[in-house]
Amino acid sequence: MSHLTISDLSIDFPTSKGVVHAVVRLNLAVAKGRRVGFIGESGSGKTTTALAIMQMLTEPGRVAGGQIILGGTDMLALSEAEMRQARLSKVSYIPQGAMNSLNPIMRIEDQLWDGIVAHEPATSQTDLKARSDHTLASVGLPPHVARLYPHELSGGMKQRVCIAMGVTLSPDLIIADEPTSALDVVTQRHVMQTLKDVQAQIGAGLILIGHDMGLMAQSVDELAVLRHGKLVEHGDVRQIIEAPKHPYTKDLISSVPLVGGDSFLDDAPAEPPKGRGTPGVALLQFDGVSKVYGANTALHPLSFALEGDVPKIVSIVGQSGSGKSTMGSLMLGFNDPSTGKVLYEGQDVSRMTGAQALDFRKNVQAVFQDPYACFNPFYRVDHALKFPFKRFGYATSDAQVQTAMEDACDAVGLDPSLILRRYPHQLSGGQRQRLIVARALMLQPKLLIADEPVSMVDASLRATILKNIHDLKDKHGISILYITHDLATAYHVSDYVMVLYRGRVVEAGPPKDVIGAPQHDYTRLLIDSIPWPDVDRGWGTPTTEEEDAARLARMAQDHATVRRGDIPGFTLS
Amino acid sequence: MTDAPLTRDDKRAAKRAARFENPWRSPKLAWGAGLLLSVVALGILGRLFWDLEAVFTGANMLKIPPIGFENLRGQSGTFANPLGTDGAGRDMLALLIIGAPNTLFVGLMASLIGMSVGIVLGFTAGFVGGRTDDTIRVLSDVMITIPPLLILVVVQSVFGDVSLTLMALLIAGFVWQSPTRLIRAQVLSMREAGYVQMARLSGASTPHIMFKEMLPNLVPYLFGSFIASVTTSIVTAVGLEVLGLGPQRVPTLGRIIYEAINAGALIQNLWWWWGLPTLLLAVMFIGLLLVNLGLDEVSNPRLRKL
Repeated sequence: MSHLTISDLSIDFPTSKGVVHAVVRLNLAVAKGRRVGFIGESGSGKTTTALAIMQMLTEPGRVAGGQIILGGTDMLALSEAEMRQARLSKVSYIPQGAMNSLNPIMRIEDQLWDGIVAHEPATSQTDLKARSDHTLASVGLPPHVARLYPHELSGGMKQRVCIAMGVTLSPDLIIADEPTSALDVVTQRHVMQTLKDVQAQIGAGLILIGHDMGLMAQSVDELAVLRHGKLVEHGDVRQIIEAPKHPYTKDLISSVPLVGGDSFLDDAPAEPPKGRGTPGVALLQFDGVSKVYGANTALHPLSFALEGDVPKIVSIVGQSGSGKSTMGSLMLGFNDPSTGKVLYEGQDVSRMTGAQALDFRKNVQAVFQDPYACFNPFYRVDHALKFPFKRFGYATSDAQVQTAMEDACDAVGLDPSLILRRYPHQLSGGQRQRLIVARALMLQPKLLIADEPVSMVDASLRATILKNIHDLKDKHGISILYITHDLATAYHVSDYVMVLYRGRVVEAGPPKDVIGAPQHDYTRLLIDSIPWPDVDRGWGTPTTEEEDAARLARMAQDHATVRRGDIPGFTLS
Repeated sequence: MTDAPLTRDDKRAAKRAARFENPWRSPKLAWGAGLLLSVVALGILGRLFWDLEAVFTGANMLKIPPIGFENLRGQSGTFANPLGTDGAGRDMLALLIIGAPNTLFVGLMASLIGMSVGIVLGFTAGFVGGRTDDTIRVLSDVMITIPPLLILVVVQSVFGDVSLTLMALLIAGFVWQSPTRLIRAQVLSMREAGYVQMARLSGASTPHIMFKEMLPNLVPYLFGSFIASVTTSIVTAVGLEVLGLGPQRVPTLGRIIYEAINAGALIQNLWWWWGLPTLLLAVMFIGLLLVNLGLDEVSNPRLRKL
């Protein structure tokens, strides 16, 4: 018997450009105790549908038609007061960013009590305490957490507290909106396990919203694929992953890069292009570089040298807090190292004269994580391409700048007539990120630092953008340092991989060895934690959270680097 | 085109949508600017069409009411003095024509100077950081705690008669702190923005980053802050004038009110003497408030409603 029934649901957002149909005639049922995944790219209507169930659409969105029945109640017909009672007791919501969802000045248990007190008349203090302790235990948190404040908890623990809040009143339906997107892969696995466990315990239906096909395969029973507000495919997760019917679903599945799977890149050219570095001098060299922030050591002393004669992609892989982004900003000269020197063609980056600094900027460029922030909203997007081009003295005439911009757009697969002369907010995230790659291409640097270039881009576009970046190496001879948390993409694009853990390189070598057959425990743990888009393949070796925590603590003591072979032109010492 | 003619509702919706898209077209902004411009217009048109000689003491009969009213002596208003005269025989209309723009001038002048100082200090503090930032921050924080009226009363009584410009300069010394802090905070958060990093990567110089990349995005904040400090400056100026300080020979709205109080206009029922300048001040403040609310909508799109 289905528990939640959505029939013919349409949701409209009136805007100044006309009405946007965010959800169009959606039909879906969620049975009691079933887990249903909503998957689709941003703007596909997955979160909007979920919010409509709770009457929490943001202004000016409104339900234009259809019905939502949950356990016999017409959710859309409820008054504001009735809906307030229904939220949390019938349907609960676990938000995306747990760190922003908890009240920073209230203890955890007080926040849990809030929900109970608001829904049930006169509950005694001892009863409240017993219930909050029980709920916290059910999500695997120790009892002392109840008296702590949110800032004293880790990201994974905060997300568990949010799950605990969602299940205190045993709702009929839990909506989890990308509950693990802010967590690293190791924590993600444990939090998802917790969510599945409590959901099974209270027998509620679960709607899991996400864009990661692998996570879905490991977590849900049924899958609903949404695109442009329409349900394009719905069915058993196994059936969808093994035999997708809709071409969009096929795209979604094939766009997930796999460790050891088929490469999404073109074959390497027979004749690799000549590198752009000066022979004999290392293009970039770290000489005992470390970075300390207060009591925290972000990066322990590290030395390596990257030659520029043959272009190559070196990946720096690690979880948040591993020091990989610190390395990126040290390389760009945005931060000065605490000890040691960062050398560009033999020059200390932090001690350059004006002319040297300009030459350094000209030859070391970057692609950043957030394509939304990279364009000044005041200017048309041309400004980001035109300004450095002129500043570095490449421009000879306005017509030449225009041709250069158009060529660069063409090279990354953008239609210049649709992109140039626009304002940043008129372009999608994927378009902006490709434009930033086009900018790098236009400036022809010797070295490109790509700091998580695809982590904020829709899954279906990631492969294309990585291909663009890879082409910079293969067609233009630009050496690239690829900073990422995603081992699967690093496996495919890179020539050399360094795995970072707490500011130390724990394993380094060619990707086929390091990621294909990891030897260091940390690399193995990371690879085990990747959710595979394969229903039969288990989610890594079944380890408990305590075991993993013990493993990580052990690794933090072990400072040795596992070396897995060298490649010419890159020396790690 | 065979489209059906637009109904009134459609037109209204289209208008709302256009306003949503371009917040500069908000009615608040238009009304506010209109009210402020009307004060300016009073000054300009008055100088063209009214005899300003009537502003001198004894130029007219004393205590004449506005047209359509009678004073306690049973005299009724005449067209020679449409808004009446004060206790010294000065024509109210002429007083307002000269006084209102003067008050507005002091406010604008003071906050223009204050804002310029604020922009320079705020950018320097936010961008340079370190010692410079500490010094500027401590200085502005200390200055914020000092009540301006107290200091200005002392300073002005030392100066005696001051000119309008000097008055504006003195007030400017107390309105640069909030813009400094506001701009410093904005610069600090903007310094980490992706496009500023991109500009550094493009080899942009510090002045380029400050004025070409950051400043344009600060414009709505600067406007808002400017309007707020105009309000503060006018309040301070009027406050001083009502106490009898400030320029002694030049009519300002505050000075008119001071003289009205001094001459006992309240008990003699000479309401036009203090009432008209107060009304004009109210018009200015409402105008400034509306402009400020309109600018808020420009800088914060969440306040806009469809």
